[in-house]
Amino acid sequence: MVNVYEAVEANKFKSTAIIVLFSIFVAVAVFFISQAFAIYQGYEPGGLGIVGIALIVSGVMSMGGYYFSDSIILGISGARPANKKKDFNFFTVSENLAIGAGIPMPKLFVIEDSAPNAFATGRDPKHAVVVATTGLLEKLTRTELEGVVAHEFSHIKNYDIRLMSIVAVLVGMIALLGDWLIRSTWYGGRRSNDNDDNKGAGIIMLIGIIFAILSPIVAQLIQLAVSRRREFLADASSVGMTRQPAGLISALKKISDDQEPLEAANKATAHLYIVNPFKEGEKRTVGWFAGLFNTHPPVAERLKALQKMV
Amino acid sequence: MIYVIVGIAVLIVVWLISEYNFFVTAKARIKAAVQEIGNQLKRQADLIPNLESSVKGYLKHEKGILQMLSDARKLVAAGKDASKQISEVLPKLQIVIESNPELKADNVVGKLMDELRDTSDKVMYARRLMIDLTADYNVKRVSVPSNIIANLFNFEELKGLETPTEGAHLKVSSEEMKSHKVNL
Repeated sequence: MVNVYEAVEANKFKSTAIIVLFSIFVAVAVFFISQAFAIYQGYEPGGLGIVGIALIVSGVMSMGGYYFSDSIILGISGARPANKKKDFNFFTVSENLAIGAGIPMPKLFVIEDSAPNAFATGRDPKHAVVVATTGLLEKLTRTELEGVVAHEFSHIKNYDIRLMSIVAVLVGMIALLGDWLIRSTWYGGRRSNDNDDNKGAGIIMLIGIIFAILSPIVAQLIQLAVSRRREFLADASSVGMTRQPAGLISALKKISDDQEPLEAANKATAHLYIVNPFKEGEKRTVGWFAGLFNTHPPVAERLKALQKMV
Repeated sequence: MIYVIVGIAVLIVVWLISEYNFFVTAKARIKAAVQEIGNQLKRQADLIPNLESSVKGYLKHEKGILQMLSDARKLVAAGKDASKQISEVLPKLQIVIESNPELKADNVVGKLMDELRDTSDKVMYARRLMIDLTADYNVKRVSVPSNIIANLFNFEELKGLETPTEGAHLKVSSEEMKSHKVNL
């Protein structure tokens, strides 16, 4: 028996811890890769210019999706704005939760797809969009739908979309840096003054290359850990809003039992859905190693956490 | 050294201002949340007679058709010519059935129930917001270090949503024990 407040607090704390870990890792990886770059290019160690370039490139690549995320949804084939008459439960439940959460009413869209799923996007509560599939609206009762919509509202209220975008920019930056370092050592000729360098420079060079190879993978793994932790947090906050864990529990069961994959989903938005839209790794995955690569924690674990709150 | 002291002083002032602002905004938001509850209660009150009358009107319309049908049936049972009545009622019935293949009456009643549930949910969530905001405010008021500011500026404890523990509404009269007749 865990009370809702404690569950939310604990999840917020763990999520902050992972983000701090992630920041430290990014700082260390960037330091070594840029030092190696500097040594390789024959600059004085300490030049961070290349990091700035990588940050800008990665930022421009990711920020478009972040800034326009609410209008990109309109591009998904078959997405139509929800209206009160056709989608009575979806519309009114969202109205009610917006009152309860004290956030402006997000824009609501419905995708014609029989696979039950839902996701939220938009850079802040004012530009938030919640999308549900027709399958979800047909298969869930009002109480279950309330749990799912509250989960999506928690992502909005906790600024998860902003957080995940920033994390994605940093992961992209590290991947670019590592890539550039490896490419430049591959194609570029070594400098003749290399032999004159002291031992320290050689070691930093080696560490830099190791980081260049490993850190994109490690950074991505931490990114996925952040994503999984935010799912737990959104589940807990959802119960905090509705005070009905049973609704979300049976909704998660229904959604995960449905084996149909969602056609509109893509890898970039997968972490936003309430349940992994690719339906992979939920039942077939064995062992913790495969679990490391999931954007969502296993449904069984989420149910266990929710059952403690009943 | 002087910069360090100035820096710390600036930080303290910034923290003081932000804490003070938290308490003031929280109070204003709680006030707004109370108004929101009143707003939703009014919506509920406006909605119910409105819905009831519209459903009543609809059922009356169908009752008329049913009446015509049963009149026609009675004529047939009595061995009299009912073709005139049937030719009158059939197109009307057809229109009703074509526009609503499933039982329209049940659907309308269901819609009424949906609206009623939704409006009470809205009142509930308006209350939830007020309770949550007051809880946040009260927790911040007593926890370290923000309690310093709360005491300094006399931010009092707020009661949140009050449930009266005595009064006439807690007693059940024999009149209220009778089950209600819903007029549709």
